[in-house]
Amino acid sequence: MDLDLAEEQQMVIDMAKAMLEEHCPTQLVRDMEDDPNGVPTELWGQMGELGLNGLLIPEEYGGGGLGLLEASFVYEELGRAMAPVPHFVSCVMSAKVLLAAGSEAQKEAWLGKIADGSAILTTAWLEPQRGQGERGIALEAKSEGDGFKLTGRKRSVPYAAVADQLIVLARTEAGVDLFLVDPNAAGITRKQLLSQGREPQYQIDFDGVTVSAEDRIGEAGTGWATWKACMHEGIILLAAQAIGGADRCLTETVDYANQRVQFDKPLGAFQALAHYMADASTRIDGGRVLVHEAAWNADQGRSISRFGPMAKLFCCEAYRETTRACAQIWGGVAFTIEYDQQMFFRRAKALQLSWWDTPYLEELIASDVLD
Amino acid sequence: MDFDFSPEEQKFAEEVDAWLVENRDPVVMDHHRENFTQLSDTPERRAFMKKLAAKGWLGMSWPKEFGGQEIEGVYEYILNEALSKHAAPQIGKGVGIIGKTLIRHGNDFLKQKFLPLILEAEIEFAVGYSEPEAGSDAANMQLRADKVEGGWLLNGQKMWTTSAHFADWYWVGARTDPDKPKHDGLSLFLVDMDNPNLEVQSLPTIGKDTTNQVFFDDVFVPDEYLVGQQGKGFQMISEALDLERFTMFTLSPIANRSDVLVDWVKEAKRDDQPLKDDTNVRRTIAHIMTDTAVAKALSTRFVCAAKSGGKPPTIESSQYKLFTTSLSQRVCKDALDIQGHEGTIMEGQNDAPLRGRFEGAYRATMNETVGGGSSEIQKNIIARRHLGLPKNF
Repeated sequence: MDLDLAEEQQMVIDMAKAMLEEHCPTQLVRDMEDDPNGVPTELWGQMGELGLNGLLIPEEYGGGGLGLLEASFVYEELGRAMAPVPHFVSCVMSAKVLLAAGSEAQKEAWLGKIADGSAILTTAWLEPQRGQGERGIALEAKSEGDGFKLTGRKRSVPYAAVADQLIVLARTEAGVDLFLVDPNAAGITRKQLLSQGREPQYQIDFDGVTVSAEDRIGEAGTGWATWKACMHEGIILLAAQAIGGADRCLTETVDYANQRVQFDKPLGAFQALAHYMADASTRIDGGRVLVHEAAWNADQGRSISRFGPMAKLFCCEAYRETTRACAQIWGGVAFTIEYDQQMFFRRAKALQLSWWDTPYLEELIASDVLD
Repeated sequence: MDFDFSPEEQKFAEEVDAWLVENRDPVVMDHHRENFTQLSDTPERRAFMKKLAAKGWLGMSWPKEFGGQEIEGVYEYILNEALSKHAAPQIGKGVGIIGKTLIRHGNDFLKQKFLPLILEAEIEFAVGYSEPEAGSDAANMQLRADKVEGGWLLNGQKMWTTSAHFADWYWVGARTDPDKPKHDGLSLFLVDMDNPNLEVQSLPTIGKDTTNQVFFDDVFVPDEYLVGQQGKGFQMISEALDLERFTMFTLSPIANRSDVLVDWVKEAKRDDQPLKDDTNVRRTIAHIMTDTAVAKALSTRFVCAAKSGGKPPTIESSQYKLFTTSLSQRVCKDALDIQGHEGTIMEGQNDAPLRGRFEGAYRATMNETVGGGSSEIQKNIIARRHLGLPKNF
C-alpha cells in the first residue's frame, strides 16, 4: 500500500500543470464564458500537441494509452485551471463509447482525430422533463429502410456548435442505441441555452434526421449498457476535476485569509473561519485519495460500480461545500463578478448537477449495496 | 500507487484473522462493548492478551535488543485493525506510547523492569495527562511533583483516566518546574497504582464503561521512576504521539457498524414492506457507505504517510480523526433514525433491533469527537500546520 507517484505519473502532472499555467489564465476562462463555440484555439492546440487529448486512447489509434489514474491527475489540473475545453465530451465520453462498442471503421475514422484534437465529438444524452437513467432516453429512432429516422429533443449538449459528430442516445425497438450523427444533417436545429457553468450548452431538435445502419455504435439494444459503463469511468475523472477546483478555491481563500485584516487580525486567525477551511481541506484530501482508489481499481480491472458513483457524489459535494464556505471568508466580494470566487461557486454546483446528479448517484450506490 | 497490502502484509492479515476466528470467545470479543473492546480490563481479556504475546505479536516494531522484531509499524496497524474488527482487545498504550518512550528515553532500570512485562502482557497501564484545568489545554497540567529525599512527592488530581480502575501502573505527567514556561515545566513518571495515597474515583458515563478521576495525596515516587529528563515531559508526550503512528485509532469498528446496519436494513420490514425500498433509507445508506469509503481513504493516507518514515503524519492523523469520529457518530444517529421508535429500546434486550446495538453505540460514540483531542483541536492543527493560517487562540 503506497500513495507514491511513479516518476512518469509525476511528469504527467507537471506537464499538465505547466501547460495550463501558461495557456489557461483565468482571463481566458472568463473570455470563454457563454461563447457559442467555447473552444480556445491555442489551449486546445497545446493539449493535442502534448498528447493530453489522446491520453485514454490506445496507441494503435494514435493515443497515449494511459490509465484512468493518470487521467485523474490531469483532470485535477483541468479542474484547478477551470479549463474551458471539450475534453470530457470528446476525449473521454465519445472516445470511450467508440472504444467500448464502436466498429473498426468508426474507431479508425474518429479516434485518431480525437487524439490529435483535429475533431471534436460530443454526446447528446439528456432530454427535457426526463431523468438521467435509461428511462430518460425517449428520442425516437424509427427503423426506416436499412437506417433510422431520429425525432425528438436533446438538452445540455456541450460544445454542439463546434462538434464534428454527435453521439446520440436514442430509443429504438431494441431498447436504447447509440448513433453517430452529423450535426449538420438535415432536420437538426441547434440552440444555445446559457448554463450555470458557462460552458456552451445546446438544445438540439431532431426532426426526422436520417441515420444509416452503419452509424449505430454496437449491437442493437446495447446502447445503455455501453453508456453506463463509460459513465462509471468518466465520473471518476469529473470527481478529480471537482477536487482540483475545490483545492484551488481553498488555496486562494487561505491566501486571502492570511492578508485581509479585520479587528486588527488576519481573518485566518478567527477560529470560526479557520475551521471552515480545515473542514474543506479534510474533505478535499480524503476525496482525492478516494478518486485515486476508484481510478486505480478501474485500471486493475476491478469493479467500480460502487467506487465511481461514490467518488463523484463525495467530491462534487466537497467542491460545492468548499465554495460555499469560502464565500463566507471572502465576504461580499465573493458575490461580485470582479472576483474569481463566483466562478468556482457556479461551476461546483453545475458539475454536481451534471453527468449523474446526487439523487441518481445515491441510488446507484444504494442499489449496489442493498439489492 | 498501490491500494493493496503487499503479499507479505496480506499474508499476515489473513493469519491474524484466521487465528482470531479460531480463538473466538464471546466473553473476550463483544461488539456491544464498542470502543471499550480495546481494553484488557478483565481476567479473560488479560489471558487473551497473553495468548497474543505468545504469538509474538506484541512489540513487533520494537528494536531486537529490547525483544522486538524490528518489523514495519504497518504490521501493528494490520494487527489492531483485525483485533478491532473482531471486537478483541488491542495492543495499545504499553506496546505503543509507553514502551516506545521508555526505549528512547527511559533509564536502564525502567527498561529492564517494564519492557519484558509489556511484551509478556503482564502489565496494564493507565495514562494520566488530563486534569480539571488541563483539558484541550493539555500543557496546563497543575499536578505538582516536588523534589524530596530519594524521589518526588506528587499532589493533585487527574481527570478522564480511562483505565485507572484496573491498571497496574500509571503513566503520569506532573509539574516539576512551576517557574518555567508551562510547556517546559512538566515531567513524566511511572506510579504504582497500588500506592495507598492514590485514590481512584470512577465516573460512570452514558457509554459502556467508566472513566476515572484520580487524586494524589503525597504520593511518593522514587527517583528512578522519573521517565527521561526532568522538564522534558511535554516534549516526550508529543514525540510519543509521533512515534506511535500506527495503533492510535482503528477504522474497523466503524466499518463494522456500517456493515451491520446494511445487513439489518436488507432484512427489515416496515408496514409489511421491505425497509430497503424506502427512498430515504436508501439515500442514507448511500451516504454512510460513501463516507465510510472516504474514512478508509483518509486512513490509507495516514498509514502511507506513516510508512514513509518521513515527517510525522500529524496532519493526516488529524484529518482522519476529525472525519472519522464525526462519521462514527453520524452512522449511529442515522441507524436510530432508520429504526425509528424501536431504536429507543435500550441495548441488551433481545426485543430491540440488533439487541440495541445502535442504541448503545449512539451513547458510546458521543465522546469520540472530544477524547483524544477534540474536533476543534484537530481543526486548529490542520488550519495552522497544513494550511499555514495564523495562531487562532
